[in-house]
Amino acid sequence: MNSSYQLKMTVYSSLLVAFIAIGAFISIPIGPVPIVLQNMFVLLAALILGPVWGLGCVAVYLLIGLAGLPVFAGGTSGIGKLFGPTGGYLLGYLPCVFVTASISKGLGRKMPSDIIAMVIGSLIVYAAGVPWLMAVTSMPLKKALAVGMYPFLIGDALKIVAAAIIAKTLRPVIKL
Amino acid sequence: MAEITPFAYRPGDSVLHFLDTRLKFFITCLLCLSLLPAGFISCWLYCLILIFFFKKSKLPLFSMLGQIKSFLILLFFVFLSRALTTKGDLIFSAYGLEATEQGLTEGALVALKFFLVMLTGLIFSSTTRPSSVKTAVQWFLKPVPFVPENRVAVMISLALCFIPVILRQAKEVSDAQKARCANLRKNPVRKTMGLVLPLLKKTFLSADHLILAMESRCYSNDRTDSEFKPSGKEKFFLLGSIMVSLCFFIFS
Amino acid sequence: MQKTIINIEDLSFVFDDGYTGLDHVSLSIDKGEFIILAGKNGSGKTTFLKHLNGLLIPTSGMIRVNGKQVSKHLIETRKTVGMVFQDPDTQMVGDTVFDEVAFGPENLKLHRALINETVTRILKTLNLFHLRDRNPSTLSGGEKRKVAIAGILAMDPEVIVFDEPFSNLDYPGILQVLSTIMDLHRSGQTVIIATHDIEPVIFEATRMIIMKKGSIMEDGNPMALVGRLEPCGVREPCFSKFNMKPESWQK
Repeated sequence: MNSSYQLKMTVYSSLLVAFIAIGAFISIPIGPVPIVLQNMFVLLAALILGPVWGLGCVAVYLLIGLAGLPVFAGGTSGIGKLFGPTGGYLLGYLPCVFVTASISKGLGRKMPSDIIAMVIGSLIVYAAGVPWLMAVTSMPLKKALAVGMYPFLIGDALKIVAAAIIAKTLRPVIKL
Repeated sequence: MAEITPFAYRPGDSVLHFLDTRLKFFITCLLCLSLLPAGFISCWLYCLILIFFFKKSKLPLFSMLGQIKSFLILLFFVFLSRALTTKGDLIFSAYGLEATEQGLTEGALVALKFFLVMLTGLIFSSTTRPSSVKTAVQWFLKPVPFVPENRVAVMISLALCFIPVILRQAKEVSDAQKARCANLRKNPVRKTMGLVLPLLKKTFLSADHLILAMESRCYSNDRTDSEFKPSGKEKFFLLGSIMVSLCFFIFS
Repeated sequence: MQKTIINIEDLSFVFDDGYTGLDHVSLSIDKGEFIILAGKNGSGKTTFLKHLNGLLIPTSGMIRVNGKQVSKHLIETRKTVGMVFQDPDTQMVGDTVFDEVAFGPENLKLHRALINETVTRILKTLNLFHLRDRNPSTLSGGEKRKVAIAGILAMDPEVIVFDEPFSNLDYPGILQVLSTIMDLHRSGQTVIIATHDIEPVIFEATRMIIMKKGSIMEDGNPMALVGRLEPCGVREPCFSKFNMKPESWQK
């Protein structure tokens, strides 16, 4: 039983690694800025897999990107991307997935608590990404926020709502 | 995905294609990190070396650069931002923006370094098979405690299997939605869910089949180790790359 | 007298939700047989096959493979009985054809040199060697099926079980898979095929079992049973409908 649970979680985590990688490529055209779905899949990984496997899932994603497989946005990869201007957002996924999953698990996996968990998780991504962007490009804070956070907030809110509903419909299907 | 992105593997028979992946990975990391202190002269020399290897591995440098346009634009912004914010001797000012000599040189150097790191990564991933990237990762994780390297390797190869399948299904789902005029919908949440939910359901169900198939093939974490086929030119490349990275330090 | 390889006594299986999957099934399978397991969707074919491989454990009754009880010898059973699933896309584990075929032996922790030799030999016999570095998901339907079969062969099974091996295949694909299966049978493998379309295989099979609602309705010579198929929800093959001579699909 235990080993078959591990196998199940291994396969599900790999599936979400694939989705996070693909999330960098598929976007929903809304208004002028198309919404990229990657961070939504990170949040879903947190809600579906829980803290430990969620963390493993994001870590494997970053690892294969670091190791040179084309899974980062725009089909890029490597150290250059991970430690480049936008690397902070990618590394921020690690604490994000862990915190989101822990809060959602701790509060009992209800929809309102999932939403709270995801809001905090998304803020963690910016908390890592924006200072990183400032450090690498030596932008002032105001400019970094205007370039690297404000334009995405509306999209994020929509994605959080969608993720909450998706997690709710998906959990009974995959019986974890 | 594997067919369309610039970072995807391109089959070939150059020296780099046959180099042991572990060493290639080590060299890539070494060169990228030692680029940090490098100065202009060594950067340009390194750029020439990279172009030489692009030619030798028969990689289409210019069409690949075209595909990472958005990254190049980002680099331009990095350059601008550095050039306009660094204090120093003023060269010109317009509309309240001030460009300094120090800013221009520093911005150019930083942008150039990012560009070179990107090119190095490009060479690595376009001459290395995804499956041997996986085995190399597995090998490097071996000494790391608390990391089950065999399971990570299985996860990587499963993810690599899933990606093309999911992409194909995503296309199918979105076509099926279009056929029923889903693109007329305005609500973005519904739009997102319409695409993602069927896709996730479908793939999670097929993951259940996969779990059965893996069980029926006796899946276990205790597996045969993967093998590496060194081409015999590893020493030469290791020596060369160490010399290059020393040059970066000396001419910094 | 032929050697019995699988022996099933009074096997029943009830799903978690109370639905009866198999209802008192008893039969024995000899080495070298070529069995068609016919029945409409939901008749219990797949449930039955999963028991042969130890993926499902009987609610009551007993299965023995080579005289050993399946539930107590899972790894041995899975080495003896290889299972090729219906959808090749969902059983691919490796990111190259070679790795995919090597997955099973790697699980058994065989020596690397032995694995390379086995995989190379199997890929060559199945005419897949030139595809060894391709990602399996980029192959054609027939090729994918053959890779799935190769992955099972690499574990050197005595019995190979196929679940709907011809579904979603075009005509050349069916011929490709059929000739692979026939070669296996000729080389002495025991073959069990579950299908609701018996047309391609009926000429080659040595025995046909017809299932309905989890029970075995008929068991015997395939040609003698063609008339009994339609009451169980399986289409009768054309040749017998139109009173023609049966003809092999193999050219």
